[in-house]
Amino acid sequence: MTPRIILANLMVRLRSLSRERSAMFFALAFPVLLVLVFGAIFTKPEHLNFDLPVQDLDHTAASAKFIDSLAADGLFKAIPVPADAGAVQYAKEHALTLVFIIPRGFEAAQVQRLRQGDFSASVAATYVYDPSSTSVTTKLQSLNAFVAAANQQMSGTAPFITMTAQSILEKKYRFIEFFVPGIIAMAIMTSSLSGALNMNAELRQKGILRKLATTPMTRVDWLLSNILYQLILATLSTASILLVSFAVFDVRLDINLWLPLFVVLEVFAFVGFGMVLTPIAKEAESAAGAANAFLFPMMFLSGTFFPVELMPPFLQAFARALPLFYVNQGLRASMIFADALVAAKCAAITAGVAAVVFVAGAMVTRWNREA
Amino acid sequence: MRHPDRQFEPTPDSVRASAAHAVEHAIVVESLSKTYGDLIAVNNVSFKVRKGEVFAFLGPNGAGKTTTVEIIETVRSPTSGRVSVFGMDVTTHKSDIVPRIGVLPQGFNSFDRLTVRETIQYYARLFGRRTSDVEGLIDLVNLKDKRDSLFVTLSGGMKQRLGIAIALVNDPELVFLDEPTTGLDPHARRAVWDVMLGLKRKGKVVFLTTHYMEEAELVADTVAIISKGEIVAIGSPGDLVEHNANYMYLTLKSADSSAIDAVTRLDFKPDADSRGDVKIKVSTTEDVEAILAAIKVTGRTLPGIDVRKPNLEEAFLSLTTDTGPDAHRLRRSAS
Repeated sequence: MTPRIILANLMVRLRSLSRERSAMFFALAFPVLLVLVFGAIFTKPEHLNFDLPVQDLDHTAASAKFIDSLAADGLFKAIPVPADAGAVQYAKEHALTLVFIIPRGFEAAQVQRLRQGDFSASVAATYVYDPSSTSVTTKLQSLNAFVAAANQQMSGTAPFITMTAQSILEKKYRFIEFFVPGIIAMAIMTSSLSGALNMNAELRQKGILRKLATTPMTRVDWLLSNILYQLILATLSTASILLVSFAVFDVRLDINLWLPLFVVLEVFAFVGFGMVLTPIAKEAESAAGAANAFLFPMMFLSGTFFPVELMPPFLQAFARALPLFYVNQGLRASMIFADALVAAKCAAITAGVAAVVFVAGAMVTRWNREA
Repeated sequence: MRHPDRQFEPTPDSVRASAAHAVEHAIVVESLSKTYGDLIAVNNVSFKVRKGEVFAFLGPNGAGKTTTVEIIETVRSPTSGRVSVFGMDVTTHKSDIVPRIGVLPQGFNSFDRLTVRETIQYYARLFGRRTSDVEGLIDLVNLKDKRDSLFVTLSGGMKQRLGIAIALVNDPELVFLDEPTTGLDPHARRAVWDVMLGLKRKGKVVFLTTHYMEEAELVADTVAIISKGEIVAIGSPGDLVEHNANYMYLTLKSADSSAIDAVTRLDFKPDADSRGDVKIKVSTTEDVEAILAAIKVTGRTLPGIDVRKPNLEEAFLSLTTDTGPDAHRLRRSAS
């Protein structure tokens, strides 16, 4: 091992990366973009706000107050629909999935019930909806809950069952906080595996490895410089993801020693997988295909984007055979649940995989040109 | 001509004398063979390269040139036989040999996003050499104007010249140039030749692999021709021509039919081209005199004649005829 040679290699890789915009994008910007896009999508339910077109046929102070109360908790934003319009036709013409209609006699019935004590007085409100819409069910559930609460209040009695929520976590976490560790693991996996695989295939195809084999560089120098390069990329990528998550979504995770440990183990594991796949990929083009064939199942089945519990049992069993599953679990255990036992178990499994795969990868990496 | 078998017949004595060879020889190849499964790429090859000479290694595609060169360069290992560089076995002394050799591989390529200067600096660092010498190398291969250009923007000729600069980055005693001028235009090719001749003047050993006979004739002290994995001839370019193309071409300018008849009557085979010139293959100067005398008898005069010795290309073709690419795949069963 010659530090001078390792450093020279490292500088070449970093300099090349800084001049290759697409490589920079996929190594650093892409995971950050994923956080921004998925963060924006999945944080929406935290501040749910539906537009609700309302047609007020009663046009009284009571109906106006009811409409105001719809918007009071921030769930709905009432959009007025002209009283003389046919609701169904209006919904079709304006591509609305739900229109709530307050009938004539709303205020009269309310007065009859509250002031005159006639609890048989009621009104029949109508909603016009598009059953083919995928979002209308959620809106209807919210609207029904709102109406049920209003009815309970109008009954003048205390509710029999009230609900109190208690989290198993010490802090309240949003989906984005669960999502970020998965993106960190995915970004490191992608860059380590693709980096090792594509670079080896490209340099071999171009004959650069052939030239390097006639220099004092040894296979150990080559492997160590690649690992160091991937560790630097992984560190930069992880730091970018955490910073952007904090700056944009105020994501606060527990940053402790488990994080660098998982980063190092994951880099060794997936650089190892990249080296194992390199002899299969004869050219740079087929290397990209081999990388994708390996990465995509890992990405979608190991709990990066959604919990594996949502998958059928056989796929859950399959997920538990994927190394990325244990990185995801381990990172979440250490960064969210403060569960050192699970983190240690996942780290041990990842370390075992990394050791086996990296050694296998190093053994199949051809340095001299022996067929 | 030195035939390989006569030049070097490996015996226990010769193996023991390897250290002595090292004094005068940069490379000693003894009974080298390389097989891939049933395929014999190199078959019992022996030759030596003297210190200070330019050694050209010629052969048709697939003849075993690159395999042989890569074994000498320490990047492949031999199946059998022994190869030593500066007296050191290539299989056991790689780390001692590599700092003393420079290699321009076939179809040299490098990192697209590094400049000329950065590329040379990188290789200088790999060899632990001062990067301050980089400017001198850039000047040597005439890339001053391109020192800050990215590799990906260089022309083929510039890339080859950069490859030569990199091969020299460790000031090697032995330089391997594998097809250094393939695909280059005539100007770029001459620029590379100038660099090679400069190395020769500096006393470096140059091991040149090439398809261009003109190149080998111009720069090489010794030429070895490999065909079907075996050395078929070795010697100076002049010796090879003398022993393998032992004839001349007499060309009669604008010869008419009576001149052609006179030549035919002497049992020569005249070959007329579209311009009316007639080319005749002859063995001696006496043949030339006899043909000219026979034409004089007819009373005709010729506007001009040309007598030319064959060149290395003709010697090469003579030695490698019927050994096209497919013929080089020797099978173990056939040997």
